[in-house]
Order: sequence, then C-alpha cells, then structure tokens
Amino acid sequence: MRKYLYIFKSEVMTNMQYIFNLLVGFISYFILIFIFLNLWKYIYSDSNELINGYNMNQMIWYVIITEILWMSLGGRKLCRKICEDVRGGNIAYNINKPYSYIGYILSSHLGSVVVKGSIFTILGMLLGLIFLGKFPHLTLFSIIIVLITSLLATIINTLFVIFIGLFSFIIEDANPFWWLYSKVILVFGTLFPIEYFPGIIKTILSYSPIYAVSYGPAKLFVDFSIPNMVNVIIVQIIYLIIIYVLCLLIYRKGVRKLNVNGG
Amino acid sequence: MNEKAIIVKNLSKTFRVKEKEKGFKGSIKSIFKTKYREIKAVNDLSFDVDKGEILAFIGPNGAGKSTTIKMLTGILFPDQGTVEVMGIDPKKKRKKLAYEIGTVFGQKEQLWTHLTPYDNFKFFGAIYDIDDYTVEKRIKELKDMFELDEFINTPVRNLSLGQRIRCEIVASLIHKPKILFLDEPTIGLDPVVKENIRTLIKRMNKEYHTTVFLTSHDVGDIEKLCKRIIIVNHGQIVLDDSMENLKYHYLNKKIVEAKMKEKVNLNDEDGITILKDKGYNLKIEVDTTKRSVGDAIKLLNPNNIIDINISNIPLEDIISDIYKRDK
Repeated sequence: MRKYLYIFKSEVMTNMQYIFNLLVGFISYFILIFIFLNLWKYIYSDSNELINGYNMNQMIWYVIITEILWMSLGGRKLCRKICEDVRGGNIAYNINKPYSYIGYILSSHLGSVVVKGSIFTILGMLLGLIFLGKFPHLTLFSIIIVLITSLLATIINTLFVIFIGLFSFIIEDANPFWWLYSKVILVFGTLFPIEYFPGIIKTILSYSPIYAVSYGPAKLFVDFSIPNMVNVIIVQIIYLIIIYVLCLLIYRKGVRKLNVNGG
Repeated sequence: MNEKAIIVKNLSKTFRVKEKEKGFKGSIKSIFKTKYREIKAVNDLSFDVDKGEILAFIGPNGAGKSTTIKMLTGILFPDQGTVEVMGIDPKKKRKKLAYEIGTVFGQKEQLWTHLTPYDNFKFFGAIYDIDDYTVEKRIKELKDMFELDEFINTPVRNLSLGQRIRCEIVASLIHKPKILFLDEPTIGLDPVVKENIRTLIKRMNKEYHTTVFLTSHDVGDIEKLCKRIIIVNHGQIVLDDSMENLKYHYLNKKIVEAKMKEKVNLNDEDGITILKDKGYNLKIEVDTTKRSVGDAIKLLNPNNIIDINISNIPLEDIISDIYKRDK
C-alpha cells in the first residue's frame, strides 16, 4: 500500500506545479455553471417552487457538484494515455516494476484528481455562494459523507476510464468508447438528476453506474438523508468491486497477448 | 563453474502482424478478411550469462534484441523455450523478478520529469519496498558514485540528456538489482558524456558485482565495457565469443593508409585488397596470413611514402561485416 501512496504523493507534487493551468481550466467550468444558473432561473418562476422534488437552489448546487466531480476527473486525458500506453508499447515499462499497472494508474491519476478537485471545490463553492447566497442544509457529518462518497465516485469513475482505455488491447482505438461514456454521463448524470427522467429510464439510471459516480454524492449534498446515504454507499461498493474485477480481467487477458514491436 | 545469472534455452517468439494488400481495393478487402503474417522475432535462442559479467547483446535493427530483453524481464511471454533469470522464471514470477533486476531504456524515460532526481529516487525506493533509512543511505552512496551532487535537486525536465541518463541508471540501481539491463544507454550523448557513463557503469560493476546485459549500436560502449559479445540476427545467435577472440580473428588483417610523393598503380593481389585509391592517398587491407605488412610497404616503395599509418580493422567494421555475412 505504501508504494501506491507514494505514487499518489508524487503525482500530487507534480500537479502542484501546474496550479495556474488548473485555474485556466476553471474558466470553462465557470461558463457552464453560469449558463445553467440562468437557464434554471428562467425555468423556475419562483425559487421555492419544486420541480421533480428540487427547488432552484438545490438544482444549481446539484450541477455545481456533479460538474466538480466530472471536470476534476480529466477522463479524456487518462483514456488517451492508457490507449497510447497499450498501442505504443509504453505499458511494457510499467509491467516490469513491482506494482500492478491498474494500481499504478489509479493511484497516480487520483493524485492529479485530488489537486484539481480541491481547487475546483473551493472555487465551485465560492461561485455557488456568490450566485445563490447560501449553501443547502449541511452538517459536519453530511459534509464528511459527501466527501467520502465523492472520493468513492472518483475511484469508480477512474476505474471505468481505465477499463475503457484497456479495451485498446482488443480493438485498435478505445477513444470512441470514451466519447460515448462521457456523453452518457453528461446527459444522464451531470446536468439533470435522475428524478427528471421518465419511468423506465429513471429505474435503469437508479441501477446504473451513474448513480454511483455522479448522482449519489450530489444528491447527498443537496438533500442529505440517512437512507439515501446507505443506498449510495452500498451501490458504490458494489460497483467498485464489479469494475475492479472487470479491469483485472481485461488487463490479464490483454497482457498475455501483448505485442511490443521494435526498439 | 561460474554461477549463472541468466540461462536461456531454445527461446522462440513469433509475432502475428496484420497485412493489407496495396491500394484502396486492398483496404476494402481487409475489412472483410484480415490477413496475418507470422514473424519469427526470436528463433531457438540459447545462451547463458555469468554472474558479474558485462555482456554485449547486439545485432542490427529488427534482429530480436529487444524482444529477447523483454522476455528476460517478464514483459513478453515466450512461445517456446525456457528462461531463468536469477533462478526465477519471468513468465511465472514477474513481480518477484522485478526486485532482482533493473532496467534502463535509453529511449524511454522512467523518471518523473517534473520531480527532482532526489524525489524520484525516494519514489523508486518506495516502489521497491525499501525503508526510508536504507533509501537515504543508498541515495547518498549512488549520488557520490555517479556524481549527482550538482543537480540532485533540479527537476528532471531541466537536466541535460547526460545528467538524465545518469539519474536513470541510479534510479534503476536503488533496489540493488543483481542484473542491470541497459538498452542503448548512451544513445544521443556526446563523446565525453558517453565516456563518463561507461566509466560509471564499469565502476558499478566492479563495486557491486552487478551483472550487466547491454545492447547498443555504439561500438565504443561494447569495446570499452564488455568482455563477451553475442551477436544476433534474424532472431538467431550468429556469434557468441569473447571480445578478445573476436578481435584476434580479425587482427590478422591490417589497414595501411599511406600518403605518397608520386602516384602508384596498385592492383588487388593475393593478401592485398585496395580499399581506396585516390592517386596520392592509398588505403589497403593486408591479410597477414598471406602477405606481411613489410611486403605491402615494399610494393608501395618506402622512398615514395610521405606518411604512413598501420592500424587494426575497427571493431565497427568487424561487426558490420558479421551482420552482412549473415544476410
């Protein structure tokens, strides 16, 4: 475990040198939140009105949280890196080290997410406070739970990206799968809560990874309840196990047929 | 008998490579039916390496060197044959093997470029489960040996190539590997830095008795570092001999370069081959088993010679001759 903590720490140290770059990335976050703020303000005639169980403030906080989770993930970059590692043979130089490749990628990526996530969280909260004037009802306990579930969501999401990236062992380029995944998460998990979708879609989404990687922590932030907390954590643990096993399977199968040509 | 660090028996590896017929038609065809061609990258290779030995494992591009290294380090799975590295089968116990070996690939970076060498070494220490006290001691020891004092706290991205390679080697030595695999460690370096790296590798081999498995296209590396040389081509060993023997076999050939007062007309004859004839400047090869160097000089007429240089055939030529012979 110590080695993975060290990988994590090294990535944090590396990312801390690029804080300014992260601030530039925040501009697109700001624009997105600003658009949604105006959109919801337009839709809600009265800010206390409830649409699908959410008032206006909750709706906007929901998007602020899911967008923090999504934008600090940096999934596209990670997926591209794994695809290149597999196709270009770079993965070879990780294979002969005494750690697991999945563990290495996961812990190093979490290092970059944590730095990015911390900055985005601080700025996102400030943005919410400036626009909306107040937080949803929070307690110390609910804040801790939101942080824990956000971390679990990020780990699961990262493993999903790793899984998609490792598909490069089977097909030439796994990036289109990533594109598909990111769009599904964007539409069904980031912009609107699950309650906004009609009957059968809502049921499917409640059992889908979206519940674990995006909806869960955001829902707990805007509307905390113990039954919800238990639900979210159980679903997250189940998905964590499933996706980790899937990653291991595809990796083990892939490495056996690895071809590293030339130099 | 010497203890063995590496034992390879009948090792083979075949790659399947996609093939496409030429042109647009070929592209359409390949969608429905993919053709594969088999390439035998390594073909029935057998050799062993003694503990503490520095071995040059060389060959032209595509000869199967890197594939062999990758099988020795557990990255690739062999199709046939057996490999034992420090008594471990890389195929079965890759992680265990990782603690016994170090690798430096001149063309690939394994250091974190945004961190300093010191942070990198600490990182590698943690990866190999070494406690902080031991790592610090080891870093100090290697820092002195590889003369890193000046830049140990400068981010790797700001180092020169020579400094970076030194750090790469140190990083791969942190866990005291028994075998160090060096894949073109001096590529792209200037002659002075190359020399420096060679001296350091030699010193390391002497002090720690680390076995060194070296591949390089740089004859200087091979000549200065290795006592034994294995040449592979088309996935097979074409020569496995001591450096001394290799040179000895070719030493009976001498190169005579002469600057003449007047033009001479020489033709190839038994034991003498004209390599270059520019009228006043001549370069000839003398096979001393057939003719003496004295004979050659007599042919040129000593009174006609302004300057003369007699030398052995450069190792580079010997090696490329072996490569060509095997084609």
